[in-house]
Amino acid sequence: MLFNEMIDNDQLVIADKTFTSRLFTGTGKFNDQQTMIDALQASQSQLVTMALKRVDMQHKDDDILAPLIKNGMNLLPNTSGARNAKEAIFAAQLAREALQTNWVKLEIHPDPKYLLPDPIETLKAAEALANDGFVVLPYVHADPVLCKHLEAAGCAAVMPLGAPIGSNKGIKTRDFLEIIIEQANIPVVVDAGIGSPSHAALAMEMGADAVLVNTAMAVAGNPVAMSEAFAKAVQAGRQAYLSGLAGQSNRAIASSPLTAFLEAGK
Amino acid sequence: MNVIVNESPVEIAENSTVEQLLNHLDKPLKGCALAVNQSIISRSKWSEYKLREGDQISLFQAIAGG
Repeated sequence: MLFNEMIDNDQLVIADKTFTSRLFTGTGKFNDQQTMIDALQASQSQLVTMALKRVDMQHKDDDILAPLIKNGMNLLPNTSGARNAKEAIFAAQLAREALQTNWVKLEIHPDPKYLLPDPIETLKAAEALANDGFVVLPYVHADPVLCKHLEAAGCAAVMPLGAPIGSNKGIKTRDFLEIIIEQANIPVVVDAGIGSPSHAALAMEMGADAVLVNTAMAVAGNPVAMSEAFAKAVQAGRQAYLSGLAGQSNRAIASSPLTAFLEAGK
Repeated sequence: MNVIVNESPVEIAENSTVEQLLNHLDKPLKGCALAVNQSIISRSKWSEYKLREGDQISLFQAIAGG
C-alpha cells in the first residue's frame, strides 16, 4: 500500500474529533506571534495547547486566539499553574468558558523545579472533570498503572511524559511507555521531553498515537523549519510503525548472499 | 460603586452588569472567563448578572502555553 493511502486510512480519533496529523503542538515560548503561527502551520498540527492567566489590568496583551481559530486549529486549554485537583477543576471550568471547548489538558505540577505531575491529584481531578462532561487528556508520569486508572476514570487519552517538561532530553521513559501503549484502550500521546525530530519519530515507531511538542520547536534556531522537520519525523515514525519494524538480533545476519566468489579460481 | 478586579479597584455605575464592566475595562472579550467571588459566571449570563458593591472579580484570559 502506498504511504498516502496508508495515511488516508489512518486517522486518530479522540472523543468527538478526528485528526489527520499526529503532531500536537504547544503555543508557548515562541519569540513572536507571527513565528508561532508560521511554525504551527509548518507543523500541520490540528490541536494546539493554550494556557490561562489572570488578566493584567495595567497592560494590553496580544490576542493570540483569533489567528489560531482563523487557521483552523482545535484548542486544547491546559490547567498549568494548578497545584492540586481543586485548582485544576476551577482552571478547567474557566477554560471551558474562555475557549468554549470541553477539551482540557489536565496538568497538576506542584513543584516548579521539575514540573512533575502529581498522580493523586491528577486522578482525583480527572474523575471529577470526566463526570462533568469534559474531554480529559491528563499529563502524567509514564506510569502504566496510573494510566489504566485514568482510562477507567473516563479520560479520552493519556499523555505520559518522555522526560521533564522543556528538558528536550527525549524518550527517557521508554520501557514504561511501551507498557502503557501495549495496555491502553485509549490513545496515548507522548508529551514533554521530546527535544528533536528523532525523539518524536521514536515515540511514533513505538506505537504512540501522537506526540505533543512545544519547546523543541519554539526555541529552535529556525522554529518554522524545525516544525516542518517534526511533521516529517512524526509521519515517518508512524509509517514505520504501521509497516512493521524488522526485529533485532545480536548476531549479524548477512544482507548479501555469502557466496564463495572471492575464493573462485583458486 | 466600587468593585475589585484582579486586585485593582474599579469604579462603575450602580447596578452594572458583568458585560457593562467588561466594556468599561476595554478588554478583549474573546478568550476571557470571569468569576465573581470565586463563582464562575458563564458567558451567557454576562448581560444579566448584576454586580454589587465590593464584589471580587477574577478575570482570566487565554494565553500561549504548552
